[in-house]
Amino acid sequence: MAPKFQIKAFQISSLVKNFIIISIVTLSFLLVFFSKSDLYLINGIKNISSSVIIPITKVISAPINAFSNFVDEYNQFRSLKFENKILQEEIIRLKKWQTLAIQNSRENKVLKKLLNATDNNLILIKTASLINRNDTIYSKLINLNAGYEDKIKKNMSAINERGLVGKVIDTTSNNSRVILLTDPNLSIPVKSISDGIFSLLTGKGDGKYLVSSFVKENKMPRLGDIVVTSGTAQIFPVDLLVGKVTKVEKNRFFVLPFVDFENIDYVQIVTSK
Amino acid sequence: MEFSKFLNSSSKLNIILIVSFSISVNSFILFPNINNSFYVLFHLTFIYIIFYHYHYYLYVVSLIYGILFDILLLNNIGAHLITFLSLLILFILLRKYLIRLSSHQIIFIYFITLIVMLLIEQFLANLIHNYIFNMSSFFNFFLISLIIFIPTVFLLTKLDK
Repeated sequence: MAPKFQIKAFQISSLVKNFIIISIVTLSFLLVFFSKSDLYLINGIKNISSSVIIPITKVISAPINAFSNFVDEYNQFRSLKFENKILQEEIIRLKKWQTLAIQNSRENKVLKKLLNATDNNLILIKTASLINRNDTIYSKLINLNAGYEDKIKKNMSAINERGLVGKVIDTTSNNSRVILLTDPNLSIPVKSISDGIFSLLTGKGDGKYLVSSFVKENKMPRLGDIVVTSGTAQIFPVDLLVGKVTKVEKNRFFVLPFVDFENIDYVQIVTSK
Repeated sequence: MEFSKFLNSSSKLNIILIVSFSISVNSFILFPNINNSFYVLFHLTFIYIIFYHYHYYLYVVSLIYGILFDILLLNNIGAHLITFLSLLILFILLRKYLIRLSSHQIIFIYFITLIVMLLIEQFLANLIHNYIFNMSSFFNFFLISLIIFIPTVFLLTKLDK
């Protein structure tokens, strides 16, 4: 009786194993198929990965992070004297600009009153700090320590003091994920300041430059021109600084973003009024 | 040493998987090659586990790591999940032929599998998610694989006894 029972038990367990394997493979194909949709399961997996998995991976990689920070601080300490000299020169230069800016600001206020114009088109939702980044392999993403409990929603814009940083693509209760401008999968509708040429920019893939994927009427901007968001897709607010045109070819042009993506500590989540 | 007695080879290899996964999904701006190296190490360890410690639980492991890699690195499920599961299925189909090979041939296949896996991931990321196939990035992975392959195999076989 015993051998018979063993054979039967083995057959059942093999059947169960095969069933599990087929289920996993089927589930995988369904996940791949629906990964770009807004399904509850997909969103749930994304939420778990950013609110549970990222903190765990951060703890595990803490020693390397500490070493990286130590090297960074050591490099900063080495260049302290040189930086100090540059900063002193910059302070003198900025003081001159400040006087001019105050004068212009007063003049601006008076003119706006005369024209009955509104101040700006941005609403600040939240200032959030960066908790980790996944921008070395494949995509250019950063994770922030604020989520939908702080009223952050999908498609809101992330900016810092230099200009546009990216767009919110996922939010959980206390975290949100931002896709950077340099990601090849993000398109930004922009216009050049001097000529008002409308175009679409995407990340070049090297993490540094943006390249035009579409230029309206094939008119190329000039070298050194500044590009800002055009606000045409109604995702990004209008007139956010993006970058400077650094190279112009026959059918496309390259833009160097103003934001230093390697030194982002804080970003502001904004939306248009 | 005392602690290592409590862990069997499979557990040790799984710990390497967890650590290498954690480090590869956290970018270090000053040392981007650390991310790439641990990313390659993860793949090396994963192939090693499939080759020498094949078990049905690896399907669940592939599913979890595939989804997590895809979401954390690509924000969409696809490239890694398909590659990991395909490797497992391919291994089952070819297992009877692999057993007959010598250790040198196995090592050669091990390296080729690693490179093909990294290549397919980039290709699928390009096909499914429109990520630009970056030849310099792939060359970087290839170079890292060449450098760390022998030390990693040595370390894994030592851990595996």
